[in-house]
Amino acid sequence: MNHDVVVVGGNRVPFTKGGTHYAEASNHDLLTAAIDGLVARYGLAGTRLDEVAGGAVLKHANDFNLTREVVLSSALAPETPAVDLQQACATGLETTMYIANKIALGQARVGIAAGVDSTSDAPIAVSDSLRRILHAASGARTAKDRIGILAKIRPSHLAPVPPRVSEPRTGLTMGEHQAITTKRWGVTREQQDEIAVASHRNLARAWDEGFFDDLVTPYLSLARDGIMRPDSSMEKLAKLKPAFGGPEGTMTAGNSTALSDGAAAVLLASAEYAEENHLPVLARVVDAEVAAVDHPGGSDLLMAPVGATGRLLARQGLTVDDFALVEIHEAFAATVVATLKAWEDADYCRSLGLDGPIGTLDTSRLNVNGSSLATGHPFAATGARIVPSLAKMLAARGPGSKGLISVCAAGGQGVVAILEAV
Amino acid sequence: MAQVVLSEIPPLGAAFARAMVPTRGAAVRLPEHSIVISRVDQDPVRLAAYNRVCGFTLRDHVAPTWLHVLTFPLHIHLLGDKASSIRLMGAVHVSNAMTLHRPVRFDETLTLEVGVGNPRAHAKGALIDLVGQVRVGDEPVWDGVSTYLSSSAKVAGEPQPVERLPFEPGQPQALWRLPSDLGRRYRDVSGDPNLIHTNRLAAKAFGFQRPIIHGMWTHARALAALEGRLPDAYTATVGFAKPVLLPGTVGFAAAPTERGFSTAVTNRDGSKPHMLMTVEAVGR
Repeated sequence: MNHDVVVVGGNRVPFTKGGTHYAEASNHDLLTAAIDGLVARYGLAGTRLDEVAGGAVLKHANDFNLTREVVLSSALAPETPAVDLQQACATGLETTMYIANKIALGQARVGIAAGVDSTSDAPIAVSDSLRRILHAASGARTAKDRIGILAKIRPSHLAPVPPRVSEPRTGLTMGEHQAITTKRWGVTREQQDEIAVASHRNLARAWDEGFFDDLVTPYLSLARDGIMRPDSSMEKLAKLKPAFGGPEGTMTAGNSTALSDGAAAVLLASAEYAEENHLPVLARVVDAEVAAVDHPGGSDLLMAPVGATGRLLARQGLTVDDFALVEIHEAFAATVVATLKAWEDADYCRSLGLDGPIGTLDTSRLNVNGSSLATGHPFAATGARIVPSLAKMLAARGPGSKGLISVCAAGGQGVVAILEAV
Repeated sequence: MAQVVLSEIPPLGAAFARAMVPTRGAAVRLPEHSIVISRVDQDPVRLAAYNRVCGFTLRDHVAPTWLHVLTFPLHIHLLGDKASSIRLMGAVHVSNAMTLHRPVRFDETLTLEVGVGNPRAHAKGALIDLVGQVRVGDEPVWDGVSTYLSSSAKVAGEPQPVERLPFEPGQPQALWRLPSDLGRRYRDVSGDPNLIHTNRLAAKAFGFQRPIIHGMWTHARALAALEGRLPDAYTATVGFAKPVLLPGTVGFAAAPTERGFSTAVTNRDGSKPHMLMTVEAVGR
């Protein structure tokens, strides 16, 4: 890499449960709020940035240029270009790497990486059959032909089709996939509920300490994350019924992420640009890797980051002990537990082509200010939530402190990245 | 000016019906009191719908045209007063000026005050001003003047020349395609039940081939086109030249000026204006 890429800071709106505080807000509204908050924090109004990369997982067809439209609604200079990217739940980390890589190569000096999702305003499509009939009708040459084609519409064709939450190739929802992984790796209910309680308590503590004061801007009367339950406890979580894995299942609504609304953005720059423009610098983007597993062939859907982590650490000559902090996205509490078990499993790691186990994590370094279970998980926003938060935590620990981010994603994919305080 | 304090926003239906009834007698009489209503909470769901119809992004801060919409029922109420010889029937909204003194949040509780005055002669009748103010506590945050032309009214004296915003024909930068249900959609969020915006027969009765979109929608849509670049405090001055028929396609052009923007909503080819608007930053 020719240029050091630094995380200047970030901004997000408080995340919340779908259909609540942001029920009236679209992806466009949410992402504009997150980016305008970032613009205000770093005095970027009227500034032309080299690029903004953003994305959403649940996207309306007419939002094909969502991020560019958001830039035009924002206070950024309208000459700021933008791109939409989408890599399921890893979108916000992938947009970070897209901007970071361009900066590293000298193609850009400053940019914003972002992500947004609204389950409140999720697109609802027409059925395949109806769409085909409508397309055929619009291509008909005469009115008579058109009427003939339209006459084929049946009431069953008119049922709206909500976005699919299942994997196209397996027909299983993400929760059903994780339930298989949870059982396979012997993850207990207690292990999952402990992760969930820690997530809520750590997030609440971080809010109380003012950690998010320069990372979050209130939006629509919401000043803190709406899903957070500071009084979460093992006793309360123990009362919940299984949501996945059948009656004997261990996964509940309490240890699985809720459908969420929110948006997050990261300001990235070359070290030179940050210095010239007197911008603060939290951490350097060191490296990243994306990976996939063969989930239609039976592999664990949400474990792709394990292989990526092993290869990334080998490439950088690092071990688990070299990381002051680790952020593993809590798609489900069980995902985190299974990931850590997989890191320690020599046979599993070798099956991925790694030389041996990745190592054992001292969990006092894990998700220390909470993660997606407590914060919420607006799919594409999560990566862009984690990057500035981790960068700030690393900066507080002093130069050279390293952090690892691991985000699993639909389609059996995952992205991992390393930051280092400067 | 004396104040009449209302405890809640008057329902539009009855007041509107009164304001629609034509009055006899040419000499203009206007209520001498203003109407004040305090502790007005903004409805966030209606605001979101208003923003969607007008093209604004949903933010914590509201558009100044939204504040106008909040004062509109008071306009109607005042014109429906016994002391008013001017009725909305036959009155045409010819120009508007509003100043946003500072960004106003959607969750701020407001005091609204509206008065009517400044009757003056016009070649086609008489002009009057509906003057509104929005306050947070005692702080004025928004001021607006809506000027109406009443063709049935008369004011003694020579008609004063009406200042017009300058217009240069030019290539539109954008085309807005206005669907036939836009009048109904804007009615639902603005509360303005005037049938000329939604009903073909009513529109014809007033000499329009088809329903026309509310002038304040066009005003709002033009501000929405500038939204990311609007200053924190500004004056928007609008002149309505020719109504926009629904459905229809209009052109839009905006050019920066020393302190803001000059914009025009025109016919498709940009040769004739429907609405002209200037935006100028104020204060600070």
